[in-house]
This record gives sequence, C-alpha cells and structure tokens, in this order.
Amino acid sequence: MATALRPVNLRTLWLPALLALAVAVPVAWAAVSAMAAALDGAAWRGLWQQPQWPRALAMTLWTGLAATALSVALSAWVLSLSFPGALWQRVVQALPPMLAVPHAAFAIGLAFLIAPSGWLLRAVSPWATGFDAPPPWPTTQDPWGLGLIAVLVAKEVPFLLWAAATQLQREDTGLRWARELDAARSMGYTPQRAWWRVLWPQLWPRLAGPLVAVLAYSLTVVDMALVIGPQGPPTLAVLAWQWLLDADAAVNAQGAAAAWLLAGVVAVLAGTLWALRHAAHWRARWTAGSRGHSARRHAAPGAPLIALAALYGGVMLALALGSLAGAWPFPQLWPRQWGLQAWQSVAASAATLWTTLALAALSALTALAWAVAWLECAPPAWDSRLRRLVYLPLLLPSVLWVVGLHRLTLAWGLDARFAGLWLAHSLAAAPYVLIALSPAYLGFDPRYAQVAASLRKSRFTFLARVKWPLLRASLLAALAVGFAVSVAQYLPTLFVGAGRFNTVTTEAVTLASGAQRPLTAAYAWLQWLLPALVFALAAWAGRPRRFAKGHP
Amino acid sequence: MSLQLSVARLSLGETTLVQDLHLDVPPGAVHTVMGDSGSGKSSLLAAVCGTLAPVFRFEGKVTLHGRRIDTLPTEARRVGILFQDDLLFAHMTVRENLLFAVPPGPRGEREAAVAQALADLELPGFAHADPATLSGGQRARVSLMRALLAQPQALLLDEPFSRLDAALRQRMRDFVFATVRARGIPVLLVTHDEADVADPARLTRLTRL
Repeated sequence: MATALRPVNLRTLWLPALLALAVAVPVAWAAVSAMAAALDGAAWRGLWQQPQWPRALAMTLWTGLAATALSVALSAWVLSLSFPGALWQRVVQALPPMLAVPHAAFAIGLAFLIAPSGWLLRAVSPWATGFDAPPPWPTTQDPWGLGLIAVLVAKEVPFLLWAAATQLQREDTGLRWARELDAARSMGYTPQRAWWRVLWPQLWPRLAGPLVAVLAYSLTVVDMALVIGPQGPPTLAVLAWQWLLDADAAVNAQGAAAAWLLAGVVAVLAGTLWALRHAAHWRARWTAGSRGHSARRHAAPGAPLIALAALYGGVMLALALGSLAGAWPFPQLWPRQWGLQAWQSVAASAATLWTTLALAALSALTALAWAVAWLECAPPAWDSRLRRLVYLPLLLPSVLWVVGLHRLTLAWGLDARFAGLWLAHSLAAAPYVLIALSPAYLGFDPRYAQVAASLRKSRFTFLARVKWPLLRASLLAALAVGFAVSVAQYLPTLFVGAGRFNTVTTEAVTLASGAQRPLTAAYAWLQWLLPALVFALAAWAGRPRRFAKGHP
Repeated sequence: MSLQLSVARLSLGETTLVQDLHLDVPPGAVHTVMGDSGSGKSSLLAAVCGTLAPVFRFEGKVTLHGRRIDTLPTEARRVGILFQDDLLFAHMTVRENLLFAVPPGPRGEREAAVAQALADLELPGFAHADPATLSGGQRARVSLMRALLAQPQALLLDEPFSRLDAALRQRMRDFVFATVRARGIPVLLVTHDEADVADPARLTRLTRL
C-alpha cells in the first residue's frame, strides 16, 4: 500500500479524518439511535404481552438454522466433488451470474415456479397428476417455512462457494491445498476422503466469517420472507417490520424492541458459531485412518452444479415468461395469450425506474469515491478501526439498522427526502464497495509509486495515469457491486423514504403479495436486469487492453 | 521387485516434453532425473503418481513390482511423494500428521507406529507440537516419515532438498537415502542440484525437445 511508504504527517491527516467522520458520524448516530430504542421499558412490556412473538421466534430459529446448516452441507459437498480440477473452474465461472440475482427477485421467481399454479406443476399436469385446476397446496408461504428455507439455501450456497473460492483461488493456499490433497491420495486416501480430512478442516475456519453472515442473514431477512415465508406466524424479522410500519407509536416501539430481541438472538448464535470454528472436536476426528473406497466414486460429480444452474435458469425463465403472459389457464404449459401490458405499465411509471437508477448510480459513485479516497490516504491503524464501524450495517439485523437510520434522517431533516435515501443507500453500499475494492487496492505493488516518483511524476499523475488505470477493472467491479446493493435495498427505501419513493425492488416486493403476476414478474426481472447490465458494462469497460501484435 | 517406467511420449498440447524414456529402479535404489526448467521432470513424477493434470497426455506404462499402476487412481498406486514444501497439514499436530498416514488397524498398533516414528526421527517430545514451530529440517524429516508410514512401494521426490540450507541438505540426503535403502523402496528423485545425485550410474538428464 502506498500509504505505508509515507511517514505519518499530521498536516496530511485532515483528509482521512474528514473521510472517517463522513462515515463514522452517520453510522454511529444511527447505531446509538437504534440503541436508544432498546431503553424503552414500555416497548418491551408491550412485546412480552404479544402472544405472537414466541412462535415467531421459534419459526425464525427453525428457518434460519435449517437454511444455514443445509447451505453449509451442500456447499461443502459441491466443493468435495469439484476441487481441484476442471469442474471447480466451471463452478467458479457459474457463480457470478447466480450471485447477481437479487434475493427478492429470486424468491418471486421461485414462487412462480413452485406455486400450485406454477410452471413445475403445469409441466406434469394433467398427464401425471390428474389436476385440471391448481391444487390447494401451501407451496409458497407454507406454514412450515420450507419455501423460505429453500430460497435461502439456493441463494446462500453460491455465496458460500464464492467465499470458498476466494480462499481456494489464492495462489499460496490454493496450490498448497491441491498438493496436500495429492499427498493424502499418495497415502491411499480417496479424493473425497482426502478432501474431508485434509482440506475441509483447514478451509472451514476461514469460512467462519461468511458462515456467520449467512446465519445472520437467514435469521433476519425481511423481503424474501414477505414474498415466500410463512405468515401465521411470520418470522420475527417480518413481525418486527410489520409493527414498525404501524401508525401507532406504541406498536412502533414494540417493533423496535422485537428488532433488538432478534439482534440478541443473532449475536448469541453467531458468537457460538464463531467460537466453534477452532473447537478441538473438529480436528480430533480426522485421523481415524480409514481410506474410503476407491471404487465408490461419485457417478456424476457435476450433477449438483447442473441442478443449481437449472434452478436459477428456471427461476429467471419463469420471471421472463410471467412478465409476458396474458391469459394463462391451468394446466396449460404456455400462456394462451402473450402481451406487453406489464412492460407498458413499467414504462408508464418511468419515475420508478429513474428513481432506482439515480439512487443506485449516485450511491455507488459516492461509496466508490469514499472508498478510493479512504484506501488511498488512511493510515493502516485507522483503517482497521474504522472498518468495524463501516461494517456495522452488515452486522446489525436490517430491521434494527433501519430503525436507527430512520431516527437519523428524522433528526437531520432528511426523512422522506431523496437526500435521505441517498445517504441510506450510500451507507449500505459503502461496506460492500470497500470489501470488493480492498484486496486489489491494498495489494497494488508499491514499487509502481516509487518508479513514478523516480520519473518525477506527481502523486496525482501517478494515480490518474498509472494506479487507477491499472486498477480499472477492480474499480469498475466495485462500482457495479455498489450499484447492485443499492438496487436491492428494500427496508431503507420504504422506511426512510416514507413510502414516497418507489424503486423496482419496493414495487416487486409489494406487488408479490397481490394478483398482478405479470407486473410483479416484470419488476422482479428488472431488479435483476439493471445490476446485470451494470456488471456487464463494468466487465466490458474493465477488460484488459489489447495491444497490436508487434512487427518483427 | 522394482519401479519400471516406460514413456513413449509425455506431452502438453502439441509440445512433447519426454519421449522414449525407459527407467528401471530396483528396490532401495535412487534414480535421479535432472534437466532444465520446463523439460518435464515434475510432470514425469506426476505421471507416475497419477496426479498429472488433464492438459497433459501420457503415453506409456508404469509398473511397480510387476503390477501395472498407471491405470489406477493415485490412492491405489501405493506411490508416496515428497515435494519441495513439506506440506505438513497445518491443522494437525505432528502426531496427527503421522497418524494420518498410518494404514487402518487397531488403535494401539497405529499409535505405536507413530511413537516409533517419532523416536526414529529423534523428535519424541514433539508429538503434540504445531508443525509450524518445527525447524525446516525437522519438518522435512516429519514429512518423509509421514510418506513412509503410509507403507509406499515406491517413493517420488520432487526437489525435496532445494529449500534447505547447505548443511541441512547434506544431512537430509544422508537420512533419506539411508532410510529408503534400509526399507528397499525404489526412489525416483527430481533435482536441479548435482550434489543430490545418489548414484551417478542411475542418472537421466532430460532436455527440452
């Protein structure tokens, strides 16, 4: 890092101080405001008197823990079948398009697939099922939370695989682990047994952070749970959200208390998971000596990847089809009429689209500008301290964070204003942009700066002509990440914007509970399409420079 | 009873790395393979071990004690391998690393084999040590012992001494060559260092084709 080369100079600290304050003040303000909500005794008494919360909490624990356990198990299984080798490279290539699908859009698309009148049942009706009308099956918003668990698992498996890929694709660990697997196999262990005994115990402690993130997200998700989660009772996060939206201030405070209860549950479970990562138990079992059966090789190691890709393909196709469907009686596989009415409705409410684009572009640019400036000039000791605060929106349950954010915008006079939304979205995008940009930025070879300085180039010339062009792909990718994070914001947009600003995400989630399926599908598709286009644009603009072939 | 390697052609895409090579390594002998970078030395070992990447193509035959092994998966070949890096598993203690290699059997016998190995290594007090706390030489010796505890019928050494300092290198050579000779294990050694050559009569120099 270039900053490491420079001695600390008090005169140069004003900019990092300003940058730190720009993020620390609103985040700390929101966090303290959220904390103040926990001190309301009447709100807690109101919460304890509500008969719904114990069942909502039980549903939260069931769906959150089951989704996390299944996601980890499936990810580990896919890894054990594919790493190292050509299949693993295909897995890595397949991850970005899956990760780009927003959670809410995926939930809506999956609901289209598995609903009683959905595409899956149409595909086998009536010839296999005998149904000529949709059966009264609770396949979405089922009382057991199975649909929510399925959506969470389908979304979190690619995330965990991506987190594993960041470790396995590293030159140092990746090569070493591949050789360790070879060494174990040379001792007679089958590839799968070698993987479980040699690689997994080393990999999983490194995945503890992403695992905690998966657990926290699964326990606190609101938008997906509204679309496909159980309703009687809902999860605690949804219950808290419903109370927060209530016009009655007492019920509102009760919602904040419920959000705090959820935060406590997440903290306890996440702390337990974090503490378990180095437990001796995980190591003690790995040396029993059994080699596994060489003959028992998996017949189709690529099957899990194909199944996952097919699910994502099916979901996106269902959304595309749904947005173009006119009359579509059950059990016909294809709509009887096709139409563009849904897309015409989207075009007619262009303000929604423009609000989405403007918010996402402004927030992503703000977060990127801040992250670049911070990484460029912050002393390393400051960086590690400020990050704890910057990452706070990721660690707190979204339903609790939004309480603090709302109080912040009220106090600053930004409530129900575009500027308030800009601030909320920028604070949400900043940690993701920082995470996306840091490895490339901090890994930039500091000798380039020395070379530029030795050529009598100013610092700005070095940044503009050397460093940023060399980091162009990473900068653009981080910008696309910030854009995608902003587009996917649901709770802050609705709460801070006081319902006055619609984005494709708020429209998609709100419409999902209604009967306008084509319009819901169109907005859900847009929710995916906008970030996907920006990612594609970033990849195109960030592609390596092609040089003309040299002449002999 | 020996390791026999017959290579008609070992190639990477259209590039031939090794052609018409025949080696016969008797039990306890160390056959050294030397050559420039990119001449296919390490790929040759990978072909014997069964870890050759799919982009390579091996046309030939590997037999160990009269049994053809090049059609078998790595884990069934009973060929041990040592790399430049010791590759001790970082999440296991020294004892667990060694125990990992011992074939299945009664727990007492497996533990006894590990205790004997630690005594042979003159590291009896290091059973529960973190491998990272060992010196380079100690790690290299534990790594060799781990490979031997798996009871391989042949051993492949891919520049195993190159990361050691000069004094330690000579001690490790003596230790490795004496150990494999005593156990009657045929060894194929790849190196850049002339000093590693155990027997000048058993030396193959590969050149870029």
